[in-house]
Amino acid sequence: MNRHRDIRGGLAGRILRVDLSTGAISTEDSLGYAARTLGGRGTNSLILINEIVPGTRWDDPENLLCFGAGSLVGTAAPGACRTDVSTINVFSGGKGSANVGGFWGPELKYAGFDHIVIRGKAKQPVYLYVVDGRAEMRDANWLWGKTTSQTEAMLRKALHDEGIEIATIGPAGENRVRGSAIMVDTAKAAGGSGVGCVMGDKNLKAIVVRGHGKIDVFDPPGFMSAVATAYRQCEANREKVSSMRRSAVARFEDLEFEGWETCLVVRNGQDDYWDMGKRARLMNSETGVPSMRRAVRACPSCPTGCMPYMEKPRDKYPEMKGEGFWINAVMSISRFDISDPETALSFWLLANELGLDTDYVASSVAWLFECYERGLISKKDTDGLQLTWGNGPALIEMVRKVAYREGIGELLADGALEAAKKIGQNSEYYLSHVKGQPSIEPFRIPAGWGLGVGTSPVAGRHMRGAVRGPGHSGPSGLDFDSTDYRNQARAVVWQGKTKELEDNLGICNYIGTWSGAHFLTPANFAELVRTGLGLEVTEGDLMDHYSAIGRNLEKAFNSLHTDLGREDDLPPQRFQREAVKSGPHQGSRAEKDQYEDMLDEFYALWRWDKETGMQTRADLERLGLQDVAEKLDERLACREPLDESL
Amino acid sequence: MGRISRDAALCYGCRTCQLVCSFHLTGCFWPEESSIQVSRRPQTGVVRWSIDERCDGCVSEQECLCVAHCAYGALKTVDAGSAEEADRE
Repeated sequence: MNRHRDIRGGLAGRILRVDLSTGAISTEDSLGYAARTLGGRGTNSLILINEIVPGTRWDDPENLLCFGAGSLVGTAAPGACRTDVSTINVFSGGKGSANVGGFWGPELKYAGFDHIVIRGKAKQPVYLYVVDGRAEMRDANWLWGKTTSQTEAMLRKALHDEGIEIATIGPAGENRVRGSAIMVDTAKAAGGSGVGCVMGDKNLKAIVVRGHGKIDVFDPPGFMSAVATAYRQCEANREKVSSMRRSAVARFEDLEFEGWETCLVVRNGQDDYWDMGKRARLMNSETGVPSMRRAVRACPSCPTGCMPYMEKPRDKYPEMKGEGFWINAVMSISRFDISDPETALSFWLLANELGLDTDYVASSVAWLFECYERGLISKKDTDGLQLTWGNGPALIEMVRKVAYREGIGELLADGALEAAKKIGQNSEYYLSHVKGQPSIEPFRIPAGWGLGVGTSPVAGRHMRGAVRGPGHSGPSGLDFDSTDYRNQARAVVWQGKTKELEDNLGICNYIGTWSGAHFLTPANFAELVRTGLGLEVTEGDLMDHYSAIGRNLEKAFNSLHTDLGREDDLPPQRFQREAVKSGPHQGSRAEKDQYEDMLDEFYALWRWDKETGMQTRADLERLGLQDVAEKLDERLACREPLDESL
Repeated sequence: MGRISRDAALCYGCRTCQLVCSFHLTGCFWPEESSIQVSRRPQTGVVRWSIDERCDGCVSEQECLCVAHCAYGALKTVDAGSAEEADRE
């Protein structure tokens, strides 16, 4: 590439830096970073790798908590609303990242910033108030202990400004529960990697943003033309996933939807199949979860609209309402064999209130249920709770206990792996985790999904390339069966590359390449980047250069900060050993040999060393990451150059 | 000149109308400088929408940008003074 590589639009142009230990607040240019990384998560990753010294722990003051709105956030580009939150992953010790939509990211940019980089720890609880290029730390003792919706309501009342947007932690983050989320709009979670735990450890309750400013694009008429093209494309493709307008999870209202048979893990991994009766009980339109959906809402600039607004009347649990109930909610609740819709919705909304990552709670608490069933723990250990499959009230009580570190909740609060060490008795075998982070993901049926989850640089989550076949994800035109190990690596790498671009630009992957609708493609991204940012790039530049920079920065962070290796990219042992017990995929397991073959191809496609999965100096230099290669050399993590034939 | 009417039942609260209106008026994306203001609170599900006198019916554009970019079909142009226009939020 030898074309125009300066950023000339789209960004606010500044990074806000806040040291909570000293109170120092400063700003810095963001354009130089974005020219190299494309912005968003890429810039967050570059800052982390430049500034965090190996050996730093997640709870050291030197750990950074970086918020980064994507380069196109705040414009009318479809779905451009996403913010990345990056830090040290509290589970793996490597790269942590969580991505969130909602109105906070655009407001940050209207306030004049693309990123906020938090360092240090406040002595007392504070919140950060960011308005129009300025920021101040304010006392948050009066907010400490409040749930996410209480915090939002109290801040809105105190600040008398309808236009503020808030990112906050709940009691879970305050209590440094490892699986804590940062909540935006009270309902959208930056959930993985323990980002809320890091925020709580820094005594930072919330970040309030308010901006009255504007975002300029490089070529306004050209950009609006690209936006119009993108909108037409979204409309043309909408029927491919017509359920989306009724919320993303509405696909599961179709009891024959293939996701029922490829996505679920049941009873903590004892099976991967739910019969029609349980599906219907959970998702029927008369009495199931959909009956409590009152509306569907959209994030900023989004033509898809996938977030349900729910109202759950008082029943065996208190009345609750709010946005939420996601595909992960179905994947979570089957782990407990709970098909009761009241429990399922209460679980989700309560986790939002308390600021918990639902994947973390579902996977780690379901593991405790299995420990209980196997007699590894008893009622003496569970505060009298009967952790039996299908016991909804016990699950709801466990969610609360985890957030407040109460009784048995204290056992899980420092991470499920730590809990497994305390319980002993080979209990870790039953814990589904990848690189230390508990996981709700299926590994035995959808091979490309398992590969994408296993190789995620942020540990065990499905947003970094997991694919489930042409009707759901993966490149259009590549016809592959999600249960067939062939072709998966190619699809996973393609999906992973597009996600790099989506997270750098801040475009929701549902509007991008994820849902099977292919609303937008990398060709759209290139046109939006040319006209919006002023970078003269082709689709190929984006997919081969910028996406590779993003993934390699995270990979390098892991190599610098952890001992993670090839074996850590494989599915949990249980799913390799135990087969699915029932349903059409009965007998399936995560076949190690075939996973190894997929890994070989996956590493080769990313141009990494096939034996070790490590990066090579030659490829890092090709990407202009000589400085990163030198850091890796210092750690002796860099391997010999790749064979040119790869 | 026509005016813009919103059907609240169809509106998803995405604020695209607000942004593209600001683009028409200013040439950039500037929500404060838009004739349309949208706000919503996730705890109630309510979307508030208003339009003020800065709306010029997108003179100089081929079509009203807010109507053209509303993916949900919630906006339409109505004749000024019509009953439908009087009912708009």
